[in-house]
Amino acid sequence: MAAYTLSILIFFPIVFSIPIFFFNKEKTTLIKTYALIISLITFIISVYIFFIFNPDSGEYAFVERRVWIPLLNSYYQVGIDGISLLLILLTTFIIPLSILASFNTIKNRTKEFYFLILLLEGSLIGVFCATDLLLFYFFWEFILIPMYFLIGIWGSDDRVYATVKFFIYTMTGSVLLLIGIIWLGFLCIPYVGFFSLDLTKLITVTSSLPMDKQIYLFILFTLGFLIKVPLFPFHTWLPDAHVQAPTAGSVILASLLLKMGTYGLIRFSFELFPAAFIKLTPIIAVLAVVGIIYGALLSIVQKDMKKLVAYSSVSHLGFVVLGIFALTQESLQGSVLQMVNHGLSTGALFLIVGMLYERRHTKEISEFGGLMKVMPVFSAIFLIVCLSSIGLPGLNGFVGEFLILVGAFNAPNLHSYSYTIFATTAVILSAVYLLWLFQRVMTGPIENEKNKDLKDVSKLELCTLIPILIFIVWIGVQPNTFLKISENSVKKVLLIYDSAKQRINNNDAVPK
Amino acid sequence: MIELNYFLLLSGILFSIGVTGVLIRRNAIIIFMSIELMLNSINLSLVAFSSFLGNITGQIFVFFVMTVAAAEAAVGLAIVISLYRNKETVNIDEINILKR
Amino acid sequence: MQLKQTLDSLNNFLPETTIIITLLVCIIADIILNKKSPITSLIAIAGLLIASYFVSLQIGIKTSIFSGMIVVDPYSVFFKFLFILSTIFVIIFAYASKEMKNSGHKNEHVYLMLSLTLGAFLMSSSINFLMMYLSLELVSLSSYILAGYTKKVKRSSEAAMKYVIYGAASSGIMIYAMSLLYGFTGSMNIFEIGRFLTSNSAGSNPIMIISIVMITAGFGYKISSVPFHFWTPDVYEGSPIPITAFLAVTSSASGFAVLIRFFSTTFLKSYEAINGNWQIIDGVKWTEILIVISVASMIIGNFVAIWQTSLKRLLAYSSIAQTGYILLGLVVANQAGLQAMFVYLIAYLFMNLGAFYATIMISNKLNSDNMEDMKGLGYRSPFVCVSMTIFMFALSGIPATAGFVGKFYLFSALIEQRMLWLALIGLLNSVVSLFFYVKVVKYMFLMRPDTGSTSKIQYGFGNYVVLLLLAVPTIFFGIYFTPLLRIAEASISMFGIK
Repeated sequence: MAAYTLSILIFFPIVFSIPIFFFNKEKTTLIKTYALIISLITFIISVYIFFIFNPDSGEYAFVERRVWIPLLNSYYQVGIDGISLLLILLTTFIIPLSILASFNTIKNRTKEFYFLILLLEGSLIGVFCATDLLLFYFFWEFILIPMYFLIGIWGSDDRVYATVKFFIYTMTGSVLLLIGIIWLGFLCIPYVGFFSLDLTKLITVTSSLPMDKQIYLFILFTLGFLIKVPLFPFHTWLPDAHVQAPTAGSVILASLLLKMGTYGLIRFSFELFPAAFIKLTPIIAVLAVVGIIYGALLSIVQKDMKKLVAYSSVSHLGFVVLGIFALTQESLQGSVLQMVNHGLSTGALFLIVGMLYERRHTKEISEFGGLMKVMPVFSAIFLIVCLSSIGLPGLNGFVGEFLILVGAFNAPNLHSYSYTIFATTAVILSAVYLLWLFQRVMTGPIENEKNKDLKDVSKLELCTLIPILIFIVWIGVQPNTFLKISENSVKKVLLIYDSAKQRINNNDAVPK
Repeated sequence: MIELNYFLLLSGILFSIGVTGVLIRRNAIIIFMSIELMLNSINLSLVAFSSFLGNITGQIFVFFVMTVAAAEAAVGLAIVISLYRNKETVNIDEINILKR
Repeated sequence: MQLKQTLDSLNNFLPETTIIITLLVCIIADIILNKKSPITSLIAIAGLLIASYFVSLQIGIKTSIFSGMIVVDPYSVFFKFLFILSTIFVIIFAYASKEMKNSGHKNEHVYLMLSLTLGAFLMSSSINFLMMYLSLELVSLSSYILAGYTKKVKRSSEAAMKYVIYGAASSGIMIYAMSLLYGFTGSMNIFEIGRFLTSNSAGSNPIMIISIVMITAGFGYKISSVPFHFWTPDVYEGSPIPITAFLAVTSSASGFAVLIRFFSTTFLKSYEAINGNWQIIDGVKWTEILIVISVASMIIGNFVAIWQTSLKRLLAYSSIAQTGYILLGLVVANQAGLQAMFVYLIAYLFMNLGAFYATIMISNKLNSDNMEDMKGLGYRSPFVCVSMTIFMFALSGIPATAGFVGKFYLFSALIEQRMLWLALIGLLNSVVSLFFYVKVVKYMFLMRPDTGSTSKIQYGFGNYVVLLLLAVPTIFFGIYFTPLLRIAEASISMFGIK
């Protein structure tokens, strides 16, 4: 078991997605339950991994290495550290919930839908596990295909435009990434001795590359990741994709797909090119701060609930990027935790919007009002999720954002307090747009006749929301459970930072 | 003895006339004639080179070019005929169902 | 002495001989048998299989036969296998196609295809201008007739007309350049030309650049690269789809075979055994010319394809763009680039033939190849459309398909030679190409059908088998591509170099 743990985790959902095609199309309940069970088993496997994972080492665990393409020295090589483990847990946790959320919303072509979701789950885990660049790129690109169909087939009216935009945008990023990967492989030949795309090998040699090459490579890699995140100027595909996607699609997109970008920033952009990372920090940190504020401001003026949540994602992921580029123990751990938090609270927000949409078939904020009276339980959950997203102490959002801001405030890598000061304003702005959203939708008198007899949350919907609420509170009051997983991995990442900084200082000290 | 250059010049002129014909004439039959002109100018230059170099290969090539030209003309004219049966024209400006 | 040499040569000429005999048997069989009989096709396939056995005997041999007219080397063996495979597939396609059945002919297409294959065989192995010209004309003449095969259909005879004019003119231009090179160097053999140019350091003579451009016209028209591509969309659209598939794969691969051999041997000064780089004769600027051609092909092919509504026309422009990608492997001028081209050609065979076969199946039932008519087709014939999706993603180069492997190798070769900008242009072009490849998928799966029938479309079992034969390798080679690499590695050695 131990030798194959990660492969089992990656390929379990992929392999078991195929039998779905042999089910009778009419028996939708069977298909749904089957998909749910498969995703739950995947979750159980990942929890098992969580328990046997040793957080003290900070090294890659469960490493598997098998010859894949001998002529390229390419290996099927997987392994996880604390950072990837958290994201894997998030993935396996969110997927069953999004399957549950689709139980009543996806009525046509159920077979294909659940097949694609399971396929997506496997490839997502693959992205977070891969430690060979070619393998990583395989999974990274492959995810586009199920996502394309998920938005394109089950989305709302304008889905085709949104899908194509999403596809082309992310493909552009991937293509740059591919050039970066191949170029890196060739540049490292003199140091490694042969063409290799093995991350663990490359990390040890990239610092010997000429500085300008490092910067070019960093730009190629990072652009690919930033489009996926998406950071401020590259974010325009996100609102379209979110608005058009079905609920499960939005949840997966926001909670999981965007994390691929931020994960890539830590795992590849930083670990491979720390010196370039440090040099270009000001530019990206500015973009991150602009994104934080810009996303928040745009959220305030949105009339469509899904768009509002989508823009809030831009803002929240700006925090994550800022935390990553601040490069302190606190901020980096905060960023990793905030990735999970964002996955939970934004996922929950999309689920909630999806539930409202299912009842009223509109996402316009102005159509609602006073729902608190007819849906008391629902509004309580909504409020908790909103507060978690705002960052109320005691809930998960606070821990992540606080760690990021504290870490970034004194971060030597940022050289300035102003990033943090500007970013903090967005905490206030997020309170504005989320509470205002809550106020407009939930409180006040019921003005619209159609809202008078809306049903409160069903048991099924509670089943999807309660697990998220548990974790929202859990992370809020006992963040250490999760922080300690990533602690040593982050420390190890920061060692790279220290040595890179040492080298830069030495180089600067040497007169030309 | 005429110099090689004159042959090449003549062949070049004939070739250019042929290419111009292919480019500007609109009647399919005349286009085929222009192609024949191109091929014959090539034959001329091959023979000239062959005799200049004292190397027989060029002249052998000419025979093959002539044979192929005949085959090409046969196929080409057959296609012209089948086109004429369908459209009652051999003017390539009127051949425009495709490309829209 | 002469006789003995010829007889020896015939021993190494068995695949070609087999095809000639098969061709004759097919003609006789076709005269005897009645119209509907599939026996002619079966004979042709059997003949091709026997030929492939004889080709397999040639693996590893490296010799020139018929007094330096043609050679047998791993390079030509690779292409011969490629041609045999694609011809077998296309003969099956033609049998499945409604268009071909309604053409009113017996099985003439079978022997025309065989003669085209014969020409392609010779093209891949000729090292003499005379042989290059003759084999190219054999391919061209067969393809002119094939393009106009459904002679009662206006579109088809128009296509043939255009094809014949473009083809004859560009081969004329090519042999004019050949005559110039012959006069300049005194030889028709590409090795002797190379030797002459090296020893007289005559590479920078202006006549060279003129000849190279003009010869590129002849080969460039066969591989349908810009600016010799004008026939491609019309001919692809006008001809019956099996023929189009045949032209897009066999005919253009044969063009590549002769193009690569011509450039890489004629203008080769020496060869570095260490890293496989070719030392090109000083002053001969063919790589620059090919870079321009390849970039132009990619850009024009991809951008024009975006606006197409006919699936066949879209595939025509996509073929132009693919030509541009494949040419990228030649401009790096080393063995790695050649290897990448081979990998790409194998991938291209499966994905392009697959795309055309899916198109045949779709248009058989819809009587149209317009994408507007394909709305929601994904739910009416899921199997065909899923396969089509695989081929489209493969052509655009998304991982887990053979197309990705091909692109990965091409761009690796470019990046290894520090041609980053070219790699960037190529990859950005493949993003552009996504627009139209995804458009096909979009019409099939994301659009809801307008009105009319939404009933399921049924196909025969054989159709599915053929489709699987093309789709499975496309995916298999995408995930496990060691066999592709091994084949390509074994095949790059050409007569004369390495």
